[in-house]
Amino acid sequence: MPELTLTHPDRLWWLLLLLPLLLLLAWPPRPRRIAWTAHLPQWRTAMAGLRRRPPRVWSLRTLLMLLIAGFGVFAAAGLVRVGQPGPDRLVVALDASASMAARTATGETAFELARRRLASELATLPEHVDVTVLRCGGPALRRRGASARALQDLGPAAGAQSVDLAALAREVVDAGGEETVLWTLTDGQGQRALPASGALSVLGSPVRNAAVLEVRLVDHWPLPELELEADFIACGDGALEATVGVAGAIDAVADSPLALQYGEVQTVRWSLRRVAAGGRLSVTVALAGDALAEDDRWTVQLPPLPAPRIAVLADEEAGPFAVVAAAALAAEVGGEVVPAAAGAEVGLLLVDGGEVALAPGRARALCFGSRYPGGGAAEPWLRPGALDWARDHPLTAGLDLSELQVEAASAETLPAGEPFLFGERAGERRPLAVVSGGDDLASVHFAFRLQDGNLPLLAAFPQLLRRSFVRCYGSAAAVVPLSAPPAAGEQDLWQRAAGRDRPLPALGTPDLDLGPWLILAGLLLLAVRAWLR
Amino acid sequence: MRGLPSRPVLPEPFPPGFRALLREILSRGPRLPGERVERPSRRHTALGNSGTFAGHRPYVRGDDLRRIDWAAYARSSELFVMQLEEEERRAATVLLDLSPRLCVGEPPRRLAALRLAAVIGGLALRHLDGLTVLAPGAGRAAISTFTGAAELDRLLQHFVDLPFVAVAPRDAVGLLLSRGIGGRVHWISDFADPVACESALVLLRRRGGRATGWLPALPEDREPPRLGYMRVVDPESGEWLTLSVDRTLRDAMRRQLEVLRRSQDRVFAQCGHVLARWSAPAADDFGWPSYEEVVRRCQS
Repeated sequence: MPELTLTHPDRLWWLLLLLPLLLLLAWPPRPRRIAWTAHLPQWRTAMAGLRRRPPRVWSLRTLLMLLIAGFGVFAAAGLVRVGQPGPDRLVVALDASASMAARTATGETAFELARRRLASELATLPEHVDVTVLRCGGPALRRRGASARALQDLGPAAGAQSVDLAALAREVVDAGGEETVLWTLTDGQGQRALPASGALSVLGSPVRNAAVLEVRLVDHWPLPELELEADFIACGDGALEATVGVAGAIDAVADSPLALQYGEVQTVRWSLRRVAAGGRLSVTVALAGDALAEDDRWTVQLPPLPAPRIAVLADEEAGPFAVVAAAALAAEVGGEVVPAAAGAEVGLLLVDGGEVALAPGRARALCFGSRYPGGGAAEPWLRPGALDWARDHPLTAGLDLSELQVEAASAETLPAGEPFLFGERAGERRPLAVVSGGDDLASVHFAFRLQDGNLPLLAAFPQLLRRSFVRCYGSAAAVVPLSAPPAAGEQDLWQRAAGRDRPLPALGTPDLDLGPWLILAGLLLLAVRAWLR
Repeated sequence: MRGLPSRPVLPEPFPPGFRALLREILSRGPRLPGERVERPSRRHTALGNSGTFAGHRPYVRGDDLRRIDWAAYARSSELFVMQLEEEERRAATVLLDLSPRLCVGEPPRRLAALRLAAVIGGLALRHLDGLTVLAPGAGRAAISTFTGAAELDRLLQHFVDLPFVAVAPRDAVGLLLSRGIGGRVHWISDFADPVACESALVLLRRRGGRATGWLPALPEDREPPRLGYMRVVDPESGEWLTLSVDRTLRDAMRRQLEVLRRSQDRVFAQCGHVLARWSAPAADDFGWPSYEEVVRRCQS
C-alpha cells in the first residue's frame, strides 16, 4: 500500500465550502424544451419498459458530482504518494585521460567501454535524478542535466590525468551529503588510490605500452639536413624489445631495435636528409602487446626546400656589393647566383638601387635603396643619425649593427611594412628598413643602397642576408607539428591503482503528485456525468 | 405549476371562415339520422320500472335488467324489455370532454373538438328536433339544450364559453344518465384513459344508450416528439416527466401509442359503441374535404 500524504491538508476545509455548490449541482439539468402531452402514462410505460428512470437528485449523477468535487479538493490539498528516500543527484567522474584510449580485451577502448556503460545506466535512471558528468583528464568538461544524460561533446580520451579521483570523491560526498552519489569510471592509471566512496567502475586491465615521449628537431632549411633526437619509454612485463624508426619525406632509414627498460627514457638520434618536395616525417615505436597506439607515433610536416637560385638586379652606379652579397648568400644557403631574366624562376631577387617593377610583399626580394612604381619621390637623407635596430625582431635579434653607417638614404622609397632598422631625422625616428608582406611571402627593403653604407662590410651582414632569405619564405619554411605531445604520466599502463567495482546505490524516488491524476479522473467523471441523464 | 409554461391559448374556434363552412355543411349536408327518444317522466325515472306500459321490444345487450319483462320471458322464452309511456321526439346529445388535456397538440385537440361539436350540433339543429349539450364540470353550463337552426349562433357561443374542467368519464356518463339519454350520444374526447372510459361505456349501454365516440386525431397520437432532452407535462394533473428522448425511447413510445389506439378501439367495440377517429385539420383549414368524413359518419 503506497504511503499517501497531503501537502496542504488545511484545504480540505474547502469541502465544506463546496457543499452548497454540490447541492446546487446535484439537481438534474433543467430541460430547455417543455412540451404538453396527453400521453404521460404512455411515456411512463415506455420508460419502464426500457428500465429507464428520469433524472433524480440523489442518483448516480450526484454520486459522480461528489466524487468529482472530492477529487478536486484532494488535488488542491496536494495529495502525493510519498517516494522512497535516497540520493537524487548523481555525479559521474569520467576518467578521460589518454590512458583510457588503451584497448581492452573486448577490442573496445576503455573510454568507449565507459561511455557505453554510462549511457546504458543513465538511460535507466528516473527523470528526477540530477545527473552531472565531470570529464577528468585532458580538457576538463562538465555536463549537467539532459546534456549529461546524452553524454554530449565529451570528446575522445586524451590529455593527462590532472585530477586525484579519490580526493574528488571526498569533495563531492562532503559537499553533496546524502543526497548525492558519486560514480567514478576510470582505468585507475595514474591514481595513487581509487575513490573509497560512491560507485566505482574500474575498466580494462594492466597492459604493455611504449611511447614516443619527445622529439627534438633541428631543421637546416633551406639546406636538406635534419638533426632528429627522440625519447622513448616503455612499460610492461618481460623484455621490452621495441623497434624504433623514422620514415617519411627523408632518404630511407632502416628501423632499429631498441631494448627499453621499464619506465626508463632512452634517446635515439638520427641525422637525416630530407627530400626537396617536403612532406610528412614520422617517428614510431613498436612494442609487442602495445595497447595504446595513440602515443606510438610522432609526426611533423616538413616544408619543401626552396629553389636556392638568387638573381641580382643592380643599377649602373651600383658597386660590386650586390653581386658579392648574392654570392655570399648563395654560399650560405647552398644555392647559386643566376642572371635576372624575365620568366626565370628564382628563389630570391636581390635588388640594389634603381627602379624595379616589383610589388612589395608580393615577391620574395631583398631590395637596397630601390624605387617602386607608385612609391614616393626619392628625397635624399644624408647621414641618418642615431642608427638603431629592433633587438627583438627575427631579422636583427642578436646581431650587432652598432658599426653601421649610412651616407645617404631615401626613407620615402620604403613601402609599408614592419620596420626593424631606424634612423633619426630632425629629431624624428624613421625606419630605414622594413619587412613587407605576410607570413608565407614577404620582401625585405632597405632605404639605402649597399654602396651608400658599410652594411656589406659588417660581420652581421651574411647572417642578416640569410635571415632575410628565410623571412622572405616565412611560414613556408616552418616545420608544422602534426602530433600533439603525449600526455604526461599516461604511458605506464602496467602499474595502476586497483580496486573492486562497486555498483550504484539505490537512488531515491520522488514524491508523486497525484493532483494531475485526480484532475484527470475528475474530468473523466464529469464527462460521464454529462452523458448520464 | 411553477417552472412550467402557461397553457397554450386557443385560437378563435369559430372564425368567419369556419362559420361559412358550417353553413355550407348545413345547407347541403346529409340528413342526420335521429332516434326516437324514450323520455320517461321524472316520476317514472324516480320509480324505476313503474309507469304507463306502452309495449315490448326485444332485449339487446346493455339494456337495464330491471326493465326485462320476466313474465313475457316465461311465456315465450325470449327476453323483452318493457317500454314505458314516452314522449317521443328525435334528438341528439353531444357529450363534450372539457379536460385541459385537450389543449395539447398542433392544432390543439380542444379546437378540433369544438369545431367537431359545432358540426354535429349544427346538423342536429338543422335536421332534428333538439340537441342537448352536456359539458360535465362546467357548472351551470353543464347541461344546455338547443332547438332549431336559429340557435346555431347561441350554440357556437356556448361552446366558446365552456371552461377547461377535468371530469372522470364515469362522472360524465353519470351526468348524461341523470339527465336522460336524449337520442344518440356523440361523445367527443381524447379517450386518453380507455380503462376509465370502459366502465362508463358499459354503464351507458346498460341504460340503453348508443354512443359514437369522436376522437379528433392528432399527429402526436402516432409520432412522439423529436429527439432531445425535454420535459413532458400533463396539463390535467400537472405531473411532469423529464426525458432524454433517443431513438430507442421514441420507438418504445410509438409502440405505446399504438397500444393506446388498439385499447380505445377494443373498449368501444366490446361495449357496442362506435369510435370514430377524425384527423383534425389545421387551424386555418376550412375546406369541405376536411369535414366531409364527419358529415359522412353522422349520416351513417
